[in-house]
Amino acid sequence: MNNQLKVLRETHGWSQGALADRLQVSRQTVNALETGRYDPSLPLAFRIARLFAQPIEAIFQLDDEPSVPATARNPGDVR
Amino acid sequence: MTSDLDNTPESAGDRARTQAHHRDFWPSIVGYVAVLTAVLIWGGLDGDSPSRFLWALLPVVPALWTVRAVLRHVRRIDDYQQLLLLHGLAVGFAIAMIASLTVGFLGIAGLPMQGAGWVIYSAGMLGWLVAGRLARRR
Repeated sequence: MNNQLKVLRETHGWSQGALADRLQVSRQTVNALETGRYDPSLPLAFRIARLFAQPIEAIFQLDDEPSVPATARNPGDVR
Repeated sequence: MTSDLDNTPESAGDRARTQAHHRDFWPSIVGYVAVLTAVLIWGGLDGDSPSRFLWALLPVVPALWTVRAVLRHVRRIDDYQQLLLLHGLAVGFAIAMIASLTVGFLGIAGLPMQGAGWVIYSAGMLGWLVAGRLARRR
């Protein structure tokens, strides 16, 4: 699975540690998510979507789906 | 900008979880060493008193405290860290099982197996530690 987590984090100017604290996970977990070594659980995916005010599918895409720039989505469009 | 953001050390949450684990874990290890020392000094394990069996079982109490510390740590960490811990435990378990089979067969073949339990324990723990370290470095 691909994700826009790193782009979104950098857009907000957050370090991995700062994002980890906001998501209540370890910095190592954020790193694993960003590098695609770990796909988040559904509750964590929802927390990420809520934090960035983006729909889940704007942040996470299956490998065979075209990547949509997360920042191009409507920030209020949270599901 | 990116490299600066990525090179952060542990997060505040990581540090809090690590400190909480240390507060649980290390007293149990100190307790284990203290009980083990008492058993070795006063237990008379190589004697013939029936109470030596009770002394021999005494280190189980602080060992259970250690198990409690590990379980509490597992509840604190997130899904990904639990996965890494599980990988380490699985490797440690597999190595301990292979070691126990090997020791068992060598014993059947007639090789003296003094302290075989400690060999199995050490192999399993070492496997867990090394596999855990490798998983975290990936």
